[in-house]
Amino acid sequence: MSSIRRLAAVSTLVPALGASLLLLFLVLPIGELVVQGSASGIRRLGTDGELRSALALTAVTATVATLLGVALGTPLAYLLARRRFRGRAVLSALLDLPLVIPHPVAGIALLLVLGRDSAVGGTLLLAGVRVVGTPVGIVAAMLFVSAPLFVSGAREAFARVDPRYESVARTLGDGAWRVFRRITLPLAGRGLLASAVVMWARAVSEFGAIVILTYNPKVVSVLSYDRFTTFGLGEAIPVAAVLVLLAVVPLALLRTLRGDAITNPGGMG
Amino acid sequence: MIVARDLAARQGDFRLEGVSFHIPPSAYGVVIGPAGSGKTTLLEALAGIVPLTGGTLHLAGADAAHLRPEQRRVGLVYQHGYLFPHLSVQDNVAYGATDPAAVDEVVRRFDLAALRHRDVVSLSGGERQLVALARALARRPAILLLDEPFSALDPSRRTRTRREVRAIHREWQLTVLQVTHDFTEAGLLGDVAVLLDKGRVLQSGPPADVFRRPASPYIAEFLGAENVLAGTVRVLADAAPDWIEGLRGETFGSMHAVEFTSGALTLYAVGPVPDGSTAYAVIRAEEVVISREPHASSARNLFRGRIREVALLGAYARVTLDVAGVPLVAGLTSRSVHELGLREGDEAWATFKAMAVHLC
Repeated sequence: MSSIRRLAAVSTLVPALGASLLLLFLVLPIGELVVQGSASGIRRLGTDGELRSALALTAVTATVATLLGVALGTPLAYLLARRRFRGRAVLSALLDLPLVIPHPVAGIALLLVLGRDSAVGGTLLLAGVRVVGTPVGIVAAMLFVSAPLFVSGAREAFARVDPRYESVARTLGDGAWRVFRRITLPLAGRGLLASAVVMWARAVSEFGAIVILTYNPKVVSVLSYDRFTTFGLGEAIPVAAVLVLLAVVPLALLRTLRGDAITNPGGMG
Repeated sequence: MIVARDLAARQGDFRLEGVSFHIPPSAYGVVIGPAGSGKTTLLEALAGIVPLTGGTLHLAGADAAHLRPEQRRVGLVYQHGYLFPHLSVQDNVAYGATDPAAVDEVVRRFDLAALRHRDVVSLSGGERQLVALARALARRPAILLLDEPFSALDPSRRTRTRREVRAIHREWQLTVLQVTHDFTEAGLLGDVAVLLDKGRVLQSGPPADVFRRPASPYIAEFLGAENVLAGTVRVLADAAPDWIEGLRGETFGSMHAVEFTSGALTLYAVGPVPDGSTAYAVIRAEEVVISREPHASSARNLFRGRIREVALLGAYARVTLDVAGVPLVAGLTSRSVHELGLREGDEAWATFKAMAVHLC
């Protein structure tokens, strides 16, 4: 084998080996957890009332947080994708902030703003809404850490829709809102749904911020931590496996949704 | 009708500035210009997609500068169609239509019945352009803006579609403004030609004037004038000399009969240029007649030269004659080339009238 061919073979093998190792590192612990704990976790759903409640609470709060994120985040994502304005870069950076700070820190920050001694928390309390130690706190924590993921994905989805589709629709008699409903939303729909699914999955798996705001009632992530610290690894594994399975559902859904959004005028020529 | 005065608009780093032109009611205008000259931006500014930053704009008699796109009664057809990919052909065509009969009519006129229920992503480029045209027309706009709408059609379909659009334009009294790179199309379709470059209108007017009397050598070359010669002018007389057929003894405004010298070539022309000035002479190839013997005509410009190149372009041919080192290009049919037996290296004569020389 010539030295050039040997060099070419090495330059292919080394990155491939590296990629395989990384993939193994990412997949092995989760696979091991699912193999060891999923059967007993599913069995426990029939007998373990606390696990059932935690699962229901996780699903409901993650869904509420996602719906809020979609409702409030979609206009923001559209604005960031379509408009050029002063402070756009700053706004984008601010949106990334919840993704880069440690999640317990996010919980502490939320506690500062939504706790009973804060202006907002106090006002909410007067209105009969208690945040800390309730499902509202869980939704707040989930929304805080996962909404930026939706906004970022939705922004990409809107950006992939060529604005000329909207321009044509305007000249065909539609106002801006009608164009958004009839053209932009359907064309960005897959991307928006995929972003919502990612947000939901992220909300489901949140722990750090939730544990600061609402330890009880417990979501599945807090319950798995609680079982680990109280009873040890053996008790934590089935609960953790259930959480992984819950996250697999949206991921599987995301796979079926995968398919490129329409980015060009339809492959001319 | 489209009346634009000093229009200014900005799209990213590109600017349209001082754009003025006038397309009369029910006229067919064509916008021509090199790539990146702002043709599409101009259409988008007229449609209200790109906001105006200055100037005035009247569309179909109404002040349109502050109207939203949906209020302008303008149909816009992009080169790539931009058919809505989540809708069928039928739903695309009917998207903005207020009358189902109008949808049926355009489907019939553009022969789209067989495509009606097709998914638009399965259409060819040409089919997309037809559907996009039909979609814009089904709304019955007062003004139709077309951005190279026939570019993906095969030659026969292009001819038929061009004819149909022209027919609709006449029947519906539609004002049309079409961007094209095709000078033949511009000449065939246009009542008014607007020549755009770097976001500015260089010249506008009837296509025949723009093509025959380009305002600058740059325009002449862009428009494909084969003979653009730089030289100096000597005014012969304020009155038309007797070699100008039909204008014998007449004076005609600021025009002078002139002698134009470019290198070793001296030719005769009529133009508004002052004595002693430097200018450009533009002679379109089709104005130059090639013959084996000196042509017996009243044409003042007669030159002997040697054939440098014979380029056969299907039915047409370009013959380049070297006249004392200056290349003169003549356009003629390939059949004439064969009949005259023109070959590279042969001696031949070139003739053109003084009035065929445009000075700018």
